[in-house]
Amino acid sequence: MSDLTIPPELFAPVWNPASYKHREAVEDIFTTLRRDYPLAKVEVPGYDPHWVVTKYKDVREVSRLDEIFHSGDVSKTPVSKMAEQMLKDYSGGQPHIFRTLVHMDKPDHTEYRNVLKDIFMPQSIATLESSVRETVRGYIDRMAQKTECDFADEFAMLYPLEVICNLIGLPKEHHAIMLRLTQWFLSYADPDLCRPGSKLDDPEHQVRTWQIVYDEIKAYYDPVIADRQAHPRQDVASLIANGKINGKPMDERGMISYFVIASTAGHDTTAATMGNTMWILARNPELLARMKADPKLIPGFVEESIRISTPPMAFIRSATQDYELSGRQIRKGDRLYVSYLSANKDEEVFDDPFAFKPDRTPNRHIGFSYGSHICLGQHLARLEMRVLWEELIPRLESLEMAGEGKWQESEFVCGPKSVPIRYTMK
Amino acid sequence: MIAPAYRKWQCTTCGEIYDEALGDAEGGIAPGTRFEDIPDGWMCPNCGATKDAYVLYEG
Repeated sequence: MSDLTIPPELFAPVWNPASYKHREAVEDIFTTLRRDYPLAKVEVPGYDPHWVVTKYKDVREVSRLDEIFHSGDVSKTPVSKMAEQMLKDYSGGQPHIFRTLVHMDKPDHTEYRNVLKDIFMPQSIATLESSVRETVRGYIDRMAQKTECDFADEFAMLYPLEVICNLIGLPKEHHAIMLRLTQWFLSYADPDLCRPGSKLDDPEHQVRTWQIVYDEIKAYYDPVIADRQAHPRQDVASLIANGKINGKPMDERGMISYFVIASTAGHDTTAATMGNTMWILARNPELLARMKADPKLIPGFVEESIRISTPPMAFIRSATQDYELSGRQIRKGDRLYVSYLSANKDEEVFDDPFAFKPDRTPNRHIGFSYGSHICLGQHLARLEMRVLWEELIPRLESLEMAGEGKWQESEFVCGPKSVPIRYTMK
Repeated sequence: MIAPAYRKWQCTTCGEIYDEALGDAEGGIAPGTRFEDIPDGWMCPNCGATKDAYVLYEG
């Protein structure tokens, strides 16, 4: 029988954004947890106690049972008790500043998701393939004019950004603004990517920064919303701006947050996976040679890249009732830190889990989550990644790292912020 | 008598396709299994939605 209580000193680095610059060390912690504390409680000083859910089977069960394990009742990310009280103060009683799809439960979650559901179904996304392919060819052509680049900064962070901004209906000159706001929102603790002036060692200041970023995003989107309500077009902005919830317009926080989730989650996670995958390719010439020799492996390569990368690493849920999970008694009100990063490396499900195997079969990773909260944009992300590698791999003649890669310092959504590469291309 | 063509069904939560011709090997559903013959406890292999989340997609 494994232990019921995780030593806080073992787990605490998982909630410290700075730990992620050495991501292998965090992965090592989860390997230990899966072995010794697969489902156990931790009490990190200053935080409420949390169950830490590390195993694939348990993560899927909690994620699927979304009426028992709510998404919207507590903060989605680990915040101290003091910070959570501040979040409530800023948001009028909610445990989050933003109220996106990931912060909602039924019936609101279903109603909000329905606003964009149809256009993100695979048959709708398939109609975008030629334009997405054209976009990525532009980036590849520009890459081919050089022999070195920072793939994370110059390619991965920009290409999916351009795709999603075009879908939303934002002009090209605003894409850089959206990238900056995304980084301030999702990479708030990274010294290179956070909002200028953020005090990274002051939780109170961070919560205030989230509210400032919310206000800045609202200031950007308010005129977009007014324009699309007056003159609807064929774009995502028009669908959100005119979206109805139970026949009524969305409330302000719901609408602004919907734009946030579309314009941030819509590119940042894909960028993280692309950047990490290039990093892996640049260190593994055998893998590149294999992919060049057998392009049919690319769909499996994409799935494996998502499993290995798992950019949204965890979400917090809370129990609405007592529930027995893998022999543990979860009590109503308990919080659960649900680790997709750990589940996707579960040795009982994925043989040799840290090896990159483009032919891994089956590969039912949960990098897009599981249950009704499964990523709305999963098919767009897959398309963007597939056409990237279909177009880029045949043109790469040589590839190597040109310096040290760097991970973002983020305990929430995490990918590389720098992947310097040297290459020759056709 | 010719059996009706296999049909495809789609999960309305995640877009996953259940193709009757292929079945769902991971879920223990043999190729050629009609959607109506899948046990009620079967779940979408991609998102875990229940069988009633699927609608006819093609056929």
